[in-house]
Amino acid sequence: MKITKFMNAVMMTAAITFGGGAVQAQQSGGSLVFLVQPEPPTMAGYVSTSGPIGLLGPKIYDGLFDYDNDGKMIPVLAESVDMSEDGKTVTFNLRKGVTWHDGEPFTSADVQFTIMDVLKKVHPRGPNSFKEVSSIDTPDAHTVVLNLDNPAPYMLRALSAYESPMVPKHLLEGEDIKSAKLANNPVGTGPFKFTEWKKGQYIRLDKNESYWKEGRPYIDRIVGRFIPDASTRASAMEKGEVLYAAYNAVSNVEAVRLNKEKDNISITTDGYSMINPMALIEFNTKEGPFTDAVVRRAISTAIDRQFMLDTIFFGYGNPATSALSSNFAATGLHAEMPHYPANGDVAAANKMLDDAGYKKDSDGVRMTAMFDLIPYGEDWKRGGQYIQQVLGEIGIQVELRYEDVPTWLTRIYHNYDFEMNLNYFYQLADPVLGVHRHYGTNMIRKGTHFVNSSRYSNAGLDALLGAGMKEPNAESRSAIYLEIQNILARDMPVVNLFELEFLTVYNTKLKGAYGSAMGAYSSFGDAYLEE
Amino acid sequence: MNRPNKILHYVARRLMQGIPIILAIVVMNFFLLNLAEGDAVDVLAGEAGSATPEYMEKMRAKFGLDQPLPVQLAVYLKNVVQLDLGYSFRHEMPVHELIFDRFGATLLLMTSTIIIAVGFGILLGLLAAVNLNTWKDALISVFALITYATPLFWVGLMMIIVFSIKNDWFPTSGMENSAAFYEGFDRVKDIAHHLVLPTITLSLFYLALYTRMMRASMLEQYGQDYVVTARAKGLSERRITFVHVLRNALLPVVTMAGVQVGALIGGSVIVESVFAWPGLGMLAFESLFARDLNLLLGIFLLSSVLVVAVNLVVDVIYCFLDPRIEVN
Amino acid sequence: MNDFWKLFSRNRSAVLGLLILCLVIFVASIASLIYPGDPFLYSKYPLSKPGENGFLLGSDSIGRDVASGIAHGAKTSLLIGLIATFAAVLIGVIFGALAGYYGGLVDDVLMRVTEVFQTIPSFIFAILLVAIIKPSIESVVIAITVVSWPAVARLVRGEFLALKNREFVQACHTLGMSDYRIMLKEMLPNCLSPIIVIGSLMVATAILIESGLAFLGLGDPNVMSWGFQISDGRSMLRVAWWICTFPGIAILITVLAINLVGEGLNDALNPRLRERN
Repeated sequence: MKITKFMNAVMMTAAITFGGGAVQAQQSGGSLVFLVQPEPPTMAGYVSTSGPIGLLGPKIYDGLFDYDNDGKMIPVLAESVDMSEDGKTVTFNLRKGVTWHDGEPFTSADVQFTIMDVLKKVHPRGPNSFKEVSSIDTPDAHTVVLNLDNPAPYMLRALSAYESPMVPKHLLEGEDIKSAKLANNPVGTGPFKFTEWKKGQYIRLDKNESYWKEGRPYIDRIVGRFIPDASTRASAMEKGEVLYAAYNAVSNVEAVRLNKEKDNISITTDGYSMINPMALIEFNTKEGPFTDAVVRRAISTAIDRQFMLDTIFFGYGNPATSALSSNFAATGLHAEMPHYPANGDVAAANKMLDDAGYKKDSDGVRMTAMFDLIPYGEDWKRGGQYIQQVLGEIGIQVELRYEDVPTWLTRIYHNYDFEMNLNYFYQLADPVLGVHRHYGTNMIRKGTHFVNSSRYSNAGLDALLGAGMKEPNAESRSAIYLEIQNILARDMPVVNLFELEFLTVYNTKLKGAYGSAMGAYSSFGDAYLEE
Repeated sequence: MNRPNKILHYVARRLMQGIPIILAIVVMNFFLLNLAEGDAVDVLAGEAGSATPEYMEKMRAKFGLDQPLPVQLAVYLKNVVQLDLGYSFRHEMPVHELIFDRFGATLLLMTSTIIIAVGFGILLGLLAAVNLNTWKDALISVFALITYATPLFWVGLMMIIVFSIKNDWFPTSGMENSAAFYEGFDRVKDIAHHLVLPTITLSLFYLALYTRMMRASMLEQYGQDYVVTARAKGLSERRITFVHVLRNALLPVVTMAGVQVGALIGGSVIVESVFAWPGLGMLAFESLFARDLNLLLGIFLLSSVLVVAVNLVVDVIYCFLDPRIEVN
Repeated sequence: MNDFWKLFSRNRSAVLGLLILCLVIFVASIASLIYPGDPFLYSKYPLSKPGENGFLLGSDSIGRDVASGIAHGAKTSLLIGLIATFAAVLIGVIFGALAGYYGGLVDDVLMRVTEVFQTIPSFIFAILLVAIIKPSIESVVIAITVVSWPAVARLVRGEFLALKNREFVQACHTLGMSDYRIMLKEMLPNCLSPIIVIGSLMVATAILIESGLAFLGLGDPNVMSWGFQISDGRSMLRVAWWICTFPGIAILITVLAINLVGEGLNDALNPRLRERN
């Protein structure tokens, strides 16, 4: 007895001395309660990229890969990927011995079914991400061969559990994908199994005892709680009733306060590098007061982006400097553009409008407009109110309109019944996935949400977008996107305001949840609670 | 016709009259909700991140939203008559299941609120009336006014800050502890623990109403002839108050309490929001913004039935309590 | 009039309420004088504490002057309360008078309609209306009106039912007066008291409903009101308590004052209420 205890002590000391911070005693057990806001309608992450689903889905479903904080691919359901010289054949070598939560084996047939019959057909971004995949071969149960019409380098960035979850063929085949029973009773290969959903209260996931990764997950159970009121969410965090809140479930104001006042609460801006949220204004370029690019450029020049970030988002974010997020600088695709001043230049904007011939009347008004606001919370209302003021200073009198989500969606994307619309979009991990949809002529699709609503159409730009999609050479691709950004900085059908930095607020007892670039949308298989 | 028979006839007539009212409510809300822009498919597509128009058309056909309005209404009414409240395509669950899940929570909150608000309201109103124009009366009246006038959500948020965060006496929100899985009596205790703050918050507002009503009602009774007579006969104040006046004063208060039942399903939206209490108020609110028509109509239906039923019960009790009331 | 004033002023708290109310109305009317300019004007001094940077009651998240918002908001909140109440009373009186006077089928039909509106959970119905018509001052007023009028209708109907059989009304019939004249000139003036009382209390309720709707995000983003300030400031309650607390106090004081005045009116106008000596 004594010897064992002594040996244990020696080993522990050795581990701590030599391992330093990296080798810690991960403790098993415990329940992780975190905020999910708002409550998702279903758990079907394969038909919806809705955020709340994304917080829970990837714990249940795995993807082929995950991405670490440097963007490198981490094998999950696929152990490795091979690409042919011409980029038109992509082979995934799948992990062996993986089973679904109901015991059935995970095979290449599942991957083929997921990509061809689910993601390419009913997923919001799937048809775009997997556009070039014309067929898939499965020579054996653990090999998947994708045959592409054209090389698609961006496709490899869309393989996380959030973006492309692998779903069980045996439970979805032959069913109506959207309304299959799987939607509310998810069955995946992930570290946590679905146990219970008390509508209006919480979703509970329990540990998957037969997870393919030895010894994982550490945590016994995950509970996603739904709390409608923002202050109450912050209170729950403060009291330790919830341990983790991402995507501003706890507002920036409260996050900063909690971080300052409580030792056991921290905040981070990590975990959003594959999301790249960008706040912007969509303009109606076909009808109304904003058909002239000069006016749009003037508006872009007048707005004090830094002020908006400082006062509304507590400084978290960066002023936009181009149609692309500066996070794409890492892959050489971003370049700084004119007409994106960080602090706003009202005088210059006024001059631009004067020079273009837009006279002010006796009240100082050049034109009037209706400004629609994304109905996702007070921050955007405040943003709208600030912009309303600034535009007043350059002679554009706007009235604010704040409607509920379905009304707003119908107005903007079904009827094009708007003049300017405050919104934010995820630019995602590659411009093809999240940026092209604003500008391509082929993305003018009446009735489809979140695509080219300004109805901007430029044949030259279309050609460049197409080229950018297919270009495998990094340098050539940079040149193409430089051209694209130059054109967009001149035409500005969409004025980018700032790159948002979402905050994750967490209790310091939660460890190991920060290794993936997907952040809150990751599996939490390595997470543990330190009491 | 003797009285019990008369009352039975009355009940039957009221029930018959209640049905067209409930139907009228459903029809009216059906058309109102369809006036709103956008539908459930839009919301789902918006949340999903996108959807092609073809896909949305298919979904609309599945939800039955592509039929002309009168047809949709007829289908809905036909189902309601057969006690089928329809299906929520958003949640992929039948409406009655969704409602009954949350009905328990609403019932708990409502019942405890009514008990506390009416109980304490009667007590405080009685005290104020008996001690008319003394400092006790003034204090109670001021208290009632302030709790009535303070915005409900402010009270709720303050409760959380004071009693949950600064003093760790109660949980911040929710109906039960989601990480611990209590069974049996432990679960009851846990839910009761969670029930305290939301109940107090909601009760304070209604408490004010009942206090003032009870006080006014008592004062009105004191002005009646029979009190003058009783005093002339030499009965003690105590006897007058507690045996005669109190009983008569209670009647309007009890009626009001019955009427409040209907208001509670709607009025609890704010409290349910602040305390994350999984009741029907919040469900109605969410289903409105999700354009989940079937669900929202189902909730309206349920609450109308409840109100009609409770009103009827209160009126009948009134008849029994006050023999002077004409049953017609 | 003198008698009325004597009765009213016997109730000291009612007089106090009246004074406070006058103060609120006064502030509302001179709002543009003491705080000229747009209450929405942002500044470079967000989240200033009360007294800091020249802001009497502090500034909000984008630097707007809370005091200016309260002054201008007083106008909005009072107007919403008054207009909604006036409309509700108008509709309620029409329904109640016709139902009480004519009785029979007219009464049945009108009362059934009233019951429909009374049976719907009123706050949710208000939310529904605002959501459908889109959040704006107009839709808030409409919503409050629609959920408030049934109470007035019931009251007026009761009064008219009681008055219908009184001698003076019979006399008017005999004289050949038209129904319309009887209702308007003879009966209505006799039941003004309870209508005034219920109307005054409704103004307070309207202000509370407006703040509740704003809390849920359904206010008009173009118009400054107390509800707007509260909904804007509530998420910052812990860091910048002044943003939503001062408007909350403003609502509290106003609603309090209106209630005190209402009770005073009730005591003065309602002869059935006797005080115990």
